[in-house]
Order: sequence, then structure tokens, then C-alpha cells
Amino acid sequence: MRRAETLLARLEGCVFAPGDPRRLAALRIGLSAILAVRLATGPYAELAGQPAALFRPISFLRLLDAMPPPGLVAVMQVLAVAAAVLAAAGAAARVTLPLAWAAAVPLIAMTSSLGKTAHNDVLLLLCLVPLLPAPTAEAWSPAARRRPAPGRWPAPAPGRWPAPAPASRRYGWPVRTVLVVVAGAYFFSGLAKLLHAGLAWVASGNLRWALYASSDAQPHPNPAALLVADRPWLAHLLAAATLLVELGFPLVLWRPRLAWLFVPAAVAFHAGIWMAMRLDYWPMASTVLVVMVDWPALADRLARRGAGGPAVAGAPSGERPASSAADRR
Amino acid sequence: MDRAADREGVPAWARRFVAVYLAAFLVCGLLGFEAWPLTGWRLFADARQARQPGWQAVTVDGAGRETPVPFRVLPAGFQGDVQVLKGFPDLSPGERAAVCQAWADAVERRSGGRVAAVRVYRTETDVSHRVGERGAPPVRTLYWTCPQGGAGAPG
Repeated sequence: MRRAETLLARLEGCVFAPGDPRRLAALRIGLSAILAVRLATGPYAELAGQPAALFRPISFLRLLDAMPPPGLVAVMQVLAVAAAVLAAAGAAARVTLPLAWAAAVPLIAMTSSLGKTAHNDVLLLLCLVPLLPAPTAEAWSPAARRRPAPGRWPAPAPGRWPAPAPASRRYGWPVRTVLVVVAGAYFFSGLAKLLHAGLAWVASGNLRWALYASSDAQPHPNPAALLVADRPWLAHLLAAATLLVELGFPLVLWRPRLAWLFVPAAVAFHAGIWMAMRLDYWPMASTVLVVMVDWPALADRLARRGAGGPAVAGAPSGERPASSAADRR
Repeated sequence: MDRAADREGVPAWARRFVAVYLAAFLVCGLLGFEAWPLTGWRLFADARQARQPGWQAVTVDGAGRETPVPFRVLPAGFQGDVQVLKGFPDLSPGERAAVCQAWADAVERRSGGRVAAVRVYRTETDVSHRVGERGAPPVRTLYWTCPQGGAGAPG
């Protein structure tokens, strides 16, 4: 019992460690931008015209007898896209980000109301949840540029961003919660394979048959699918690698440097699925990139390289500037 | 800082929010429970076999010619065909007729031709049996026929 309490306290300490406001802002910008693109290009108008006999609702859409009417869907789509663009820009993010999420959920639920859960947008939606109540616009936003907190953040030189707020637990928990969600998504995908198929997922012809079936269902034979499916050793190797990457993904929470291994592997995995099966998981792959890359550290490195010195206006003495080191802990 | 905030700047509500959210996320993931957008993450979780059961829907024109319903080129609302067909045996005759009617209307709108009937076949495909770069054609068994304007009948 005592050991469980100690473990919980340690986990809580990890999630609620200090974080860089810019890292949180980067999540707001990146995830809102993906959401905006996804919502602007989604097939919601077509789905709204679906005959009721084909409606296979998911979750709260079970309250309806058919897809929402086209007029309502159009209004929600415009609202959601506009709110997501404003949230990405950091304009009234406390309002626009929740509004974008709330309008996006029913639209994206429509794409999963064809009989099967479409997972490609789910990770994005889940990663946005911790951001909804978080102070995401206290860096890299018009408000942060206009109004650096008096006395804490020195006014920036003309054309420069103000120094970021110091690292704080206020900014750390949303980022770490999102990291747990991304790592968990891959881990649970691997776990589901083990629970439902066992080692046969790797050791049997599973991947070959899936790729053959996918290629046969496409208008033309798919060379990438056939390349793998025709070579049993390659199919087993890729199946094993997939399972290893999925089950091993949570290691990035323990050793962030492993992101250099797992993130390219996950992106390559989604790219491979698209090439072989034409299944579009780009929102999931780009969500992983936005979440796992330490954008402030990258920005600092680029700025140092460009200016030959620190790019920010400075940080209050005695307080560590919001650094990626704090966030990586 | 509000009174509910602890000394380190994290409001008490944030701790409760994270605890509840992560607990729900972990429970769904561990138990495979679907509460969309929370999910059990069953992506390609089943091991595929070489012999794969399936379904096929075809339209029949006035001359009796069969053409597979071209779901991939129909609007997005029609592209849940695999799941609709998988659940076809569980539908009432009236629901089956409504599904067939929706498909027939979409095909007629697209092709301009008239659909005389929609037939639904059970299929079994052995994907390991290759003919060049394609799989061998599936073995088909007629499951249901929906005549346009009628309720439909088995076989």
C-alpha cells in the first residue's frame, strides 16, 4: 500500500514538474493547425448527405437517427475551422481552443459513424484535451508579445520576442499529460495486438495476408504492399518492428532521448501504411511530431545559430529561463 | 494565484482533471473499452488468416448483368460498406431493403442507368492464392436479393 502511494507520488511529481511555456504554446500552435487543416478538408458535407439507412452512429451520435443535416454541418465546420485557426494564432485561445475542439468532436464523430472507429483523428482530439483549460497562450501569441508581465519579463528589443516566462508547473502538466497520451496510444495499440492475436501477429502470415487483401482491394496492385507480402521474412521483420515500436514507445517518457528513435519509427510506420494500404494516418503522425519534438530547444538552437548569441531578450536573474532542460526532466 | 492553487502553482482542479483524464484513458486502453473519443486502440489487432470471409454487393441491370457497387467512388457516406455488409445478417428485411435502395439510388445517380436489383453475396477469398499480382477471385454464395421496389428475399 505504502509502495503504491510512493509510486503514485512519484508519477504525480513527474507529470507536475516545471515546463516551458513555449513548449505548451508549440502544442497549441501545432495541434490547432493540424485540426484546422483536418476540419477544412474533411468529408463532412458528403457525410451529411448520407442516407439514414447507412448511418452507424458512434458514441453520442447514437442520439440521432441520421447524420446531422448539411446546413448545421456547414455552420459547425466553418465555426470549427475559424476557431482552430484563431487558437493556432493564439487569439483568445482560452475561448477559441475549447470552441474549436467542441465543434470538431461531432464532425469527427461523423467520420467514425460508418461502422468502424477511424483512429486517425482520435489521437489529435485526445491530445488537445489537456490543453483546453491550460494557459497555452502565455508565449508565442499576440498577447504574449504585446504584454510581457511587468517586472518579470523585460521588454523585448524591437522585432524580437520577449523573454519567455520562467518554467513553471502551470505549463508543465499539460505537456506531460499529452506526452503520456501519445506514448499510451502506441503502447495500447501494441497491447491490443498481443491480447487479441498474441505472438501470431508476428509469427503467422498475418501481415502478408493483410497486405495482399489491401492490395487486392485497390484499383491497381500496390507495389509496396506486394514487395512486403511476397517476402515472408520481410513481413515478419516489419511485424516484429511494429510491435516493438508500439510496446516500447512509453520508454520516451523515461528517456526522452529515445524520441530520436521512436518518433522517426512511428512516422515511418504511418508512411509505410499509407504507401502499402493507402490508409491516411497523417493527422496521427503529425500529432506525434508536434508533441514529441522539443520546439523551444529547436528554436533556441536556430536562433543562436542565426544571431550568434542568445535570441531572447533575457530572463529574470535568479530564475532559470524556461528551458528545454527543465521540460525534458 | 487563487486559493485552490498549491504552493507550486498548480491549481487543485488541474490535479483532479489530470487524474480523471489519464485514468479514463488508461482504463479504455487496458480494457479495450470504446467510449469515443476515448478508445481501446484496436488497430489491426486481429491476426489475419489467408482465407478471409467477406461480402460483396452488386447491382443488376435490366439485362441481368451484375456490376459490383463501386463504393470507392461513391460519396464518403457510402464508404462504410464493409461494416454495413458485415452487419447485413442482423438487419430486418425492411432495413436491408432500405440499405439496398440507398446503394441503388447512388449507383443510378452516378451512372445514369437503371438498377433492377441489388444482390448481396457472401464471399470467401484465399489471399494466398495469387494469380499474377492479384488474388484469385473469391468463392461467392448469394445471400440476399433486393428487387427494386420490393422487400427482398434470401438467395
